[in-house]
Amino acid sequence: MNETLIGVARPRLDAPDKVTGATRFAADGHVHGLLHARPILSTEPHARIRRVDREAALSVPGVVAVLVATDLPLATSGSDRTAEPLAREEVVFSGQPVALVVAETEAAAEDGAEAVEVEYEALPAVVGLEAAMAPGAPLARLLEEAEGGGDLESIHAGVDEGEQEADEEQLSGNVVDTVNRRSGDVAAAFEASDAVVSGTFRTPWVYQAYIEPQVATAWLESSGTLVVSTSTQGSFVTRRELARAFDLPLERIRIVAEPLGGAFGGKFALIEPLVAGAALALRRPVRLVLTRRDDFQSTNPQSAQVTHLRVGARTDGTFTAIEARMLVDRGSNTGWGVEGITTQLVAGPYRWKAHDLRGYGVQTNRFTFGAYRAPGAPTAAFALETLLDELAGALGLDPIEMRLRNAVVEGDVGVSGNPFPTIGAVEVLERLRGHPLWHERGSLPPGEGVGMAAGYWPGGNEPAAAVCRVDADGTMTVVTSAADMSGVNTGFAVIAAAAFGLEPDKVRVVTADTATGPYAGASGGSKITYTVGKAVEGAARAARVKVLAAASQELEIAPDDLEVVDGVVRAIGAPDRSISVEEIAQKALRFGGRYEPIEGHAGSAQTAGAPSVAAHLAHVRVDRETGEVELLRHVIAQDVGRALNPALVEGQMRGGTTQGMGWALFEQLEHDESGHLLTSSFLDYAIPVADRVPEIDTLIVEVPAPDGPFGAKGIGEAPVVAAAPAIVNAVAAATGARMRELPLTPPRVWAALTGDAPRENP
Amino acid sequence: MPEALTLSVNGESRSLEVEPRTLLVHALRDELGLTGTHIGCDTSQCGACTVLLDDRAVKSCTVLAVQAESAEITTIEGLSDDGEMHPIQRAFVEHHGLQCGFCTPGVILTTVDLLSRDPEPGSDTIRHALRGNLCRCTGYQTIVDSVVAASGALRGAGS
Repeated sequence: MNETLIGVARPRLDAPDKVTGATRFAADGHVHGLLHARPILSTEPHARIRRVDREAALSVPGVVAVLVATDLPLATSGSDRTAEPLAREEVVFSGQPVALVVAETEAAAEDGAEAVEVEYEALPAVVGLEAAMAPGAPLARLLEEAEGGGDLESIHAGVDEGEQEADEEQLSGNVVDTVNRRSGDVAAAFEASDAVVSGTFRTPWVYQAYIEPQVATAWLESSGTLVVSTSTQGSFVTRRELARAFDLPLERIRIVAEPLGGAFGGKFALIEPLVAGAALALRRPVRLVLTRRDDFQSTNPQSAQVTHLRVGARTDGTFTAIEARMLVDRGSNTGWGVEGITTQLVAGPYRWKAHDLRGYGVQTNRFTFGAYRAPGAPTAAFALETLLDELAGALGLDPIEMRLRNAVVEGDVGVSGNPFPTIGAVEVLERLRGHPLWHERGSLPPGEGVGMAAGYWPGGNEPAAAVCRVDADGTMTVVTSAADMSGVNTGFAVIAAAAFGLEPDKVRVVTADTATGPYAGASGGSKITYTVGKAVEGAARAARVKVLAAASQELEIAPDDLEVVDGVVRAIGAPDRSISVEEIAQKALRFGGRYEPIEGHAGSAQTAGAPSVAAHLAHVRVDRETGEVELLRHVIAQDVGRALNPALVEGQMRGGTTQGMGWALFEQLEHDESGHLLTSSFLDYAIPVADRVPEIDTLIVEVPAPDGPFGAKGIGEAPVVAAAPAIVNAVAAATGARMRELPLTPPRVWAALTGDAPRENP
Repeated sequence: MPEALTLSVNGESRSLEVEPRTLLVHALRDELGLTGTHIGCDTSQCGACTVLLDDRAVKSCTVLAVQAESAEITTIEGLSDDGEMHPIQRAFVEHHGLQCGFCTPGVILTTVDLLSRDPEPGSDTIRHALRGNLCRCTGYQTIVDSVVAASGALRGAGS
């Protein structure tokens, strides 16, 4: 084992192919006889489909078919996106796929799509979240749902038990889930508080905005196996969803996870059922590449949320009670939502004497809710961390010091009802406090301010396995089925190299398909490095046992007296008595060889979580004339367990922070009052661009995860959690204005500064 | 009706047949197999399809293939020389200027254009030049670092 390899910045393994254009993304592969698909999206937010007129489209040269729901060989009658890839009778959001034009060329598919006429019978659209909950509200879905919507929630894990149903409350049928976490006497705890602050916080629907639109290709092999090549975060979960959709045996489905052009939670078996259904119906290869417009309209963004929050504390800053009522817009998604996780995370990494946290999942006629990096966390942190800033102000306390007095440590019981595992909340806050920007905050020019906020992501667990194989040239191949969303393969290489005793550049990593690969969960919940990485470590150690056994015979030295260093097995204390791994592999991998192949297989099944805490400092300037917020500088401190590759860790920290800047200032999917989407291009939906993003200082804090590979943990989601509230708190520091709706668009900030009522979006 | 067309791409003359409405990006990807040029949007916002037309960065979704007939086209595949990475490509590898890599070819070709006009740009200039190339992964800082490093490498090589 060579721990000196850990913690060294190295380029990504896939970087050379990506900078030269050699990488084949999911839209790039050539397939013989390929047909191209284009969906027809509902123009109505809520309607019955009266008729789909396909005749004109079918007469377009090159159009092969116009498919509707009944043309797909679906075996399940549910109404989730797997069971109903095309709307059957009722459309429940504007943008829902209603039909699929399949043609010989993309251009013909586009022409065909323009010729399809759909006749709708409009139904009342449920657009407003709060109105949707009221008893007697029109229902967002009229036809009964026949089957449940799978268990995609489990992918994101991190949600502890400890939920209970909310008390009886008069709610409409649009409320599909309620959660209540409570403990202690909240009323008494507020009564005993010296300061209590409260507010209502609103966040919009937010889009993952992966730059590669959703894409999948499906075909049948001669054996009848359905093959789907796709841009997905999870090959096994996609296989399971397709098996459910079409009632196919698992072994008759092969999912190939292609290199991901960004995903951020949005690519979980969403379009594959549609593409696979078309390929099964037509018995020809079919590819669907969503246009950006269709991707905006028909995919699964992060839900809008309304949070009513109240918190209290004593004069010394000790937190007393927290009470939340959190309304989560599910859109058309009845299968899962973030009520569980958002009510857990709204308490932050802090101790409370009493809590009462309620969550409501509400169906509306807007999108299908899906995951976006740390789903349910930025919304919760926005409410909590801006209110804590206000609380610190009310008590005259330093905001970091106040948080430190309440920060959880290992063993503290959280609102989930479970004790926190090892967690670096104190270490992160102390590290942030030491940054010069925090000390400069009192001596800034007018119009500027510095704010801070903290948050965490609990991390996820899922059993996983990996294989390490040494070839006759002495190099190693690591095989896993984890989609490489964030550079995990580069991390696997260094884990394997260190655990085996090889140079990292002698290790390559292969992402296998579901027919050949060891099991791995989907890349979500910040769990891949923690879980699959642990399996890789075990597999490399298992391979090392094999090489030591063979070397022991070759050198006539007991295995315990041998070590493997840089690809050479040598006697401990007598390095001249040695044999290379390559030589042993050559002796093994041949006709009549005497040693087992140098291969290892191992699995992992951690039960302890590995939460990651991240805290931010934001420095802003606010233009009082226009309401524009300029980001001047940003600092993030994050507990990453152990930075396997600091360059990639910093990349996650900066990337997540930047997405938080989008939450804070730019991003919102807007519908008009009747439920039609107003923002279906990057013209209308702004994501951070290069000259609006400041320098981001990264402070890596390492509190090793006891059960992670070399102490590493999942780090992808934590950085986005509290970036926005740090910016909002900085705006408050600069102007005194407490903003309670994201994003902080210039009109909203200007209205807050001038005292005019903000112009609300519908 | 498809029409015959000859494009000069990465120093080679390539013949193809396309419909007049075919965008350059589709001709490059679908007809010539140059899939390093990516499509990320349909409103010319994302910059993933950026190529060089006569050494200037152009979003190839804004140009018809037939309009590019008289130009010298360079795609990401044409930037390396006999398998040797261009110094800008090397800088992006070494300075971690990419994550998912989908925007990367466009970012690199925009950088080629920028550094040909301004060999030693400051970070504000770099960020301004890149505002037409959306990256959702990196937060741009390592991209800026990569451009600065590439600028140094190119000037070093030239002196």
